[in-house]
Amino acid sequence: MTLLQVRDLKTHFFTADGIVRAVDGISFDLAAGETLGIVGESGCGKSVTALSILRLIAPETGRIVGGSIMLDGQELTTLPIEAMRAVRGRRIAMIFQEPMTSLNPVLTVGTQIAESVQRHLGLSRRAAWDRAHEMLELVRIADARRRLSEYPHQLSGGMRQRVMIAIALCCDPQVLIADEPTTALDVTIQAQILDLMLELKEKLGSAIILITHDLGVVAETCERVLVMYAGRMVEQATAGELFGRPLHPYTRGLLRALPRADDEVGVAGIRPKLAEIPGIVPALNRPIVGCAFAPRCRYVVDLCRTTAPALTAANGPHPVACWEAQRVAEEAA
Amino acid sequence: MTLVATAEDMQRIASPLARAATAIRRNPTIFIGSVLLAALVALTLAAPWVAGDPFRQAPVNRLRPPSEPFWFGTDQFGRDVFSRTVYGARVSLIVGFAVAALSSLIGLAVGLVCGYFKRIDAVIMRAMDGIMAIPSILLAIALITLTRPGLGIVIAAIVIPEVPRVVRVVRSVVLSIRAQPYVESAIAGGTRNAKLLVRHILPNTLAPLIVQATYVCASAMLIEAGLSFLGAGVPPEIPSWGNIIAQGRTFFQIAPWSIFIPGAFLAVTVLAVNMLGDGLRDRLDPRLARRL
Repeated sequence: MTLLQVRDLKTHFFTADGIVRAVDGISFDLAAGETLGIVGESGCGKSVTALSILRLIAPETGRIVGGSIMLDGQELTTLPIEAMRAVRGRRIAMIFQEPMTSLNPVLTVGTQIAESVQRHLGLSRRAAWDRAHEMLELVRIADARRRLSEYPHQLSGGMRQRVMIAIALCCDPQVLIADEPTTALDVTIQAQILDLMLELKEKLGSAIILITHDLGVVAETCERVLVMYAGRMVEQATAGELFGRPLHPYTRGLLRALPRADDEVGVAGIRPKLAEIPGIVPALNRPIVGCAFAPRCRYVVDLCRTTAPALTAANGPHPVACWEAQRVAEEAA
Repeated sequence: MTLVATAEDMQRIASPLARAATAIRRNPTIFIGSVLLAALVALTLAAPWVAGDPFRQAPVNRLRPPSEPFWFGTDQFGRDVFSRTVYGARVSLIVGFAVAALSSLIGLAVGLVCGYFKRIDAVIMRAMDGIMAIPSILLAIALITLTRPGLGIVIAAIVIPEVPRVVRVVRSVVLSIRAQPYVESAIAGGTRNAKLLVRHILPNTLAPLIVQATYVCASAMLIEAGLSFLGAGVPPEIPSWGNIIAQGRTFFQIAPWSIFIPGAFLAVTVLAVNMLGDGLRDRLDPRLARRL
């Protein structure tokens, strides 16, 4: 059953240098209890997609110019702001990248969790505090009772991210959007936090949208993956498909750029140089004609420079936006 | 410094007196400023007991230099300069504190709204720029010609041009706090505007606001003295430092004490308030405070 349906979402920013098409036609479905990964390099529109779903784009700078976001049959793009506030944190919750600064330094951890519970579930102060205690235990913070009355600076980065997860999940949201939740944490903590998120997802039945630039994280956690490039979708597949048979040249480039443990170690212990994708991401403040990836693509043909390919499953086993997907797949095989 | 706590260290931490000593050593300006200010407040409160009648004229004792019964000398009417100076401190302190409190409160409210609601920000800030351009002395003279002179009018005349200064400080803090991830995170959690302002943004503005309030207080005391000196301040029959200086002006060459003494009090008071402000700024700065 589709829980969240995003169709042709377009979010543009209006700057002095022109219109920046940060998100330019994104569509995806999210089923209840599913984990969807959105990957792409910095500036490809992943975070803007997430912020757009919660309608958190500052109106002074940009807005959603087209498309639809349906949560459980309810259109979010046209919802009045007060109704939208009731969705935020209650039905769709979000975890941000920076656990060090995402908690208010002047309020105790317990207050910050209880605030959300009181706001959305209408519980009394006492009951909200109990709920906060329960949540801290759920995210496995030791000595939860004492931690409730501590301030964020008394907690480590990993613990703060656990608190963020507790705040996000305290009202049983249907969708949890995690925007680079582990980027600021060190590797050992990353795995713990991801495991915790997945475990709580199973327990509470929330769907997760995991936004990351780390394909390793995607491989470990996501069932389905959406690859974005320059504000557009380039490929959508199950995690297994994507890693086993990438169809888009960009996806292939990303995968080749990953360090692998089984890379052969050469003379003097030097591993082969990691592959890189030549060129840079196109500027988004000018209209892109044709495929956005064409200038960097090894498989480019004339058609790519004039007409943008649509995301379609016609050229292969899963949806991809590439005229030459067939050739890419054959070459890979 | 050693990282191992000795018994002596523990004792030092435990004793409140020793802790106070450490705090003073670390930040002597707060200490000096607050002690001077506290002494002045105490003196003002104790005025009826320590000072004589500031209004009693005694022509026999006119223009006496500082000596046994009149510590600070007497003025041209034989009034005791010490008594007048002590009572004059009342006016300065009342004006200083009242202006600081009022302009902080108004400035806080306006600043919060300006920094948070961008739509009305430009309009209010232009109005504030306009108010800031009014010199308080001219405003006071205008207000007094419209009404009768009094403490309230003086306070109002100083508060009005001070408000924009507070607004600017608060607004700039709100703008920077607004961009903090925890504010965005609170918005993403569905927090309402009013709650966001009061719970998440307001507490962060208090430290800079307190510091700004001390500067406003010091400048209000100076402006009040200036206004009184020009005859646009508190009515001349009330002994305020500005009035005492203004009345002593004609006899400056033969009785300089009636100008120097209230002038020195004014200078020391303003210095004390400024020192307190500087000390608080250092103490309340979150980057420095964390060292505790």
